[in-house]
Amino acid sequence: METFINPKSLFHLLLLPCLLLYSSIAYNSSPVEAAMHTNNWAVLVCTSRFWFNYRHMANTLSLYRTVKRLGIPDERIILMLADDMACNTRNKYPAQVFNNENHRLNLYGDNVEVDYRGYEVTVENFLRVLTGRHETAVPRSKRLLSDEGSHILLYMTGHGGDEFLKFQDSEELQSHDLADAVKQMKEKHRFKELLIMVDTCQAATLFNQLQSPGVLAIGSSMKGENSYSHHLDSDVGVSVVDRFTYYTLAFFERLNIYDNASLSSLFSSYNPSLLMSTAYYRKDLYKRRLEEVPVTNFFGSVMETIHTDAAYKALSRRNSGRFEDEMSLDQSVHHIKRRMLIKVNDGDEIHDINPEGEEGASKCPWSTFRNKFQKAENVDSLLNYGLVAMIPLLVISTWLVQ
Amino acid sequence: MVLLQRPHILLLLIDTHQFLQCWIAFGSANEEGQQQEEFSEELLVKPLPDHKLLAHFHFQSSAPPSTSNGCHHHLFPKAISQLVQKFRVKEMELSFTQGRWNYESWGGFDPISSSNAKPPGVELWAVFDVPQHHIDASWKNLTHTLSGLFCASINFLESTATYSTPEWSFPPASGNVRYGTLPCEAVCTENLTPWLKLLPCRDKAAIALLLDRPSLYRGFYHSQRLHLTSTESSSEGIDSGIILEQTLTVVLQPNSERAIEVHASEKHVQPSWSLSSIFGKQVSGRCVLAKSSSVYLLLDRGLVAELKFPNKENGKSAANGLTSENFWSNPSFELSVNPDRIFLEESSSHSKSLSILYMFQVEKYSESEPFDIGLMWKVPVAWLCQQTPLHASRFFMGSGNERGAIAISLKSTQFTEGFMSANSKDGSCELRVDVFQVVPWYVKVYFHSLRVFVDQQPRAVSDFIEKIHVSPSKDKMSPGVMEVVLKLPCRVNTAALTIEFDKGFLRIDEYPPDANQGFDIPSAIISFPNFHASMVFLEDDSLNRSPLLSKFQEKCPVMSYTEVLLVPLTTPDFSMPYNVITIKCTVFALYFGSLLNVLQRRVAEEERFLKAKAAKKTGRLPLLLSKLSAKLRGSGINQD
Repeated sequence: METFINPKSLFHLLLLPCLLLYSSIAYNSSPVEAAMHTNNWAVLVCTSRFWFNYRHMANTLSLYRTVKRLGIPDERIILMLADDMACNTRNKYPAQVFNNENHRLNLYGDNVEVDYRGYEVTVENFLRVLTGRHETAVPRSKRLLSDEGSHILLYMTGHGGDEFLKFQDSEELQSHDLADAVKQMKEKHRFKELLIMVDTCQAATLFNQLQSPGVLAIGSSMKGENSYSHHLDSDVGVSVVDRFTYYTLAFFERLNIYDNASLSSLFSSYNPSLLMSTAYYRKDLYKRRLEEVPVTNFFGSVMETIHTDAAYKALSRRNSGRFEDEMSLDQSVHHIKRRMLIKVNDGDEIHDINPEGEEGASKCPWSTFRNKFQKAENVDSLLNYGLVAMIPLLVISTWLVQ
Repeated sequence: MVLLQRPHILLLLIDTHQFLQCWIAFGSANEEGQQQEEFSEELLVKPLPDHKLLAHFHFQSSAPPSTSNGCHHHLFPKAISQLVQKFRVKEMELSFTQGRWNYESWGGFDPISSSNAKPPGVELWAVFDVPQHHIDASWKNLTHTLSGLFCASINFLESTATYSTPEWSFPPASGNVRYGTLPCEAVCTENLTPWLKLLPCRDKAAIALLLDRPSLYRGFYHSQRLHLTSTESSSEGIDSGIILEQTLTVVLQPNSERAIEVHASEKHVQPSWSLSSIFGKQVSGRCVLAKSSSVYLLLDRGLVAELKFPNKENGKSAANGLTSENFWSNPSFELSVNPDRIFLEESSSHSKSLSILYMFQVEKYSESEPFDIGLMWKVPVAWLCQQTPLHASRFFMGSGNERGAIAISLKSTQFTEGFMSANSKDGSCELRVDVFQVVPWYVKVYFHSLRVFVDQQPRAVSDFIEKIHVSPSKDKMSPGVMEVVLKLPCRVNTAALTIEFDKGFLRIDEYPPDANQGFDIPSAIISFPNFHASMVFLEDDSLNRSPLLSKFQEKCPVMSYTEVLLVPLTTPDFSMPYNVITIKCTVFALYFGSLLNVLQRRVAEEERFLKAKAAKKTGRLPLLLSKLSAKLRGSGINQD
């Protein structure tokens, strides 16, 4: 008696993960409608503490000023500064930060909003900002509230090495951490396109583990190369800007919000002999052609304008269309689920009839798997499937042996 | 058809809108009798004895209670009113300070210093109107909200190890108060910007226009404070709404290069200054949303006594005739602008002379004719500011990385002696001093080791301490809090409190990135509840309406903060974990490797194997033969 009940319950237990996996794959494999570009965000991180790293803060603030000038508002910029340079007692120019020895431009300005500063700039907080896993009390100004249509610029500067970036001289962000965070962001629909720009030694190695689609990465140097500072300001007493950022800014200073300069023109503007390192860009995850993508796609906030004949009409149609799509998607998921349930019942019946459980067990998922194989093009899911299919066979065979 | 109808609808809409507007205007006009949102801005400038200048900006907004006004605001910052409503804050004060208030030369017995001299870094205290068990949650959420609002890491105050609950020594004494400080928090433009955004005119008009960041942060001391009181949520008492008071106190050096020159030639000539020379900007016109905007120049009691105004004796009558020439053109100094009003302080019992306040109304000036007050000194003057009864300072004793002691020393100032003798009745006068000290948990204070020295003699603790409240620290849970009420004889010259401590150890992940810099012990608060710093200026109609002057009239106890102490703790070698891991791994590998080797090896078997090998080497044929014979013999046995 017992021997008869046991395989049945076992079989049910086995079916449960199958079902879950099945539904998740069904959801993933169905084509998700490409979201429209909705907004632009920028996460600018200076990871270095201490006065002699003044240039890293100047780098970050220069980028902050640039993206602000090109139209990203303060509430969509997350600025992380690991130390206070502007009001540092060593600063001869209080409340001012310069990135050039001519001192023409005060980067700190009158309206800077720093979201994370000092001891708050940690790897943990950085990953929390990216993935959006905050405590409930954390205010909105400290969150990256992007959506599936957002274009995000992630700029990081500091000291780094082979596949890591130092934070505050005490902890490291590794390339795996960054890739994981980006993958999580992708799965949570937190961005549409992401540009990661890193100015540090061996910056290219930081991108090695990235695998999420829609990600574009630029680093200041290749593996084994250092990134160098541009020049020293003898009044401030330290180097004030890094080469890579300096030439990036030189490119952007010529632009305004209406310019159509493409990303490829930005990339080709880096001259290895001036940088004293080789700027590296990784574009295999990015689908669009770089010649067609304007830099304001990431560094500014330029929305696509849709010409409409009548007010609101086109927008509402688009929305309703999307809504219908979602509806149909939902329905299809339900449909598949229902079918699956029926299949499960079938399997049960077969099992009841046939005292040898293995045949039924192998038959039921097999038919569904075969269907799935045809649909799923993803190699990962195929592999997962294979693994899961192995489990029942393994368990049943061991059970039979006993 | 539709197209034709549209204009009509539009017109109708406009009509109704206008009507509504009129109606609303009428309604508000009706309500005007009750209360309205108000905003006023004031600036007080005061020369300091050590060739410096104090500028005190005072902005005050008030909102009537939301029961009568609703949640809409015209002038009052919405962020603040939402914060008050959400966390049910009764009273709150947040200050950002850089630099240390020099109590000896800038004074400690006037309303400005006792309420605006703050400890370096961030100080936050709040009183909540929520049940006792909800206070900590409210506090936690409040810190997070404020950190978002003011771009500072105030959220570090959320952990119970950083804030404390003063029982009675802290001035707004009530059970629901929470107090926390972050002594090493940086203060810069990013904190000032959101603070200015709470003002209706931001920094675009009138007095706030003077707030030029580089010149502010170049100063010796600046403290940006936000104080709010709300009677909104309290069930009892009069409902007066929310009053938000924003002050910025800066101590600056007027035109420093010239001052040095002058300093070399004539030691005591005060540097001449004007608003434009200090801030690099001028005041052009007023903020149109402000009810009043005025600039004051305050001459200290000590300074007035030095200046010897011609008719000082009958000052009262002169003040009544406000146009009196004597008060603003003086042989010793000259003002570049004629003051609109002059106020004389009401004579108080404990000072020989009275301070003078010049008032300038900014309303009269415009862009074409900007307001720029200047003061030119003609003769050298030297004076002293009024000091606190006792000058407090705090320091460390002992050496080494293991233990030490904190000492708070109180020294009597010259000023108080005269005052004490005037105030003492039959020689048995007592001076009450409240001490409030918070110590982080990693400095383990032994409260039994508290000792009191009076006039450098060790004395029994019970003779001088009237009341003491101690809550010992719990590791990683709560800081140690000590509240003491001292009763000292009036004739005391010096008094000191010492307390011993052991330095604790932190976990490696609890150290900040710059652990070698040391750890800060927040300032102790020394208050003198029997002394009140207040400046009452002669009653006048306009006086009642000036928030700054009515603030001066309030009786607030004299308070002073001690220095922040920096305690070096033993810091571990931060690469140690990695060393430990590598060494451990090596040791484990060696140990387990050899152990496994020993366990798995069967010595007898091996020997046999070796023997067999040796046999093998002798030749294959004999081995085979022996095997065969053994088998045959074996089978023979079996068969048996």
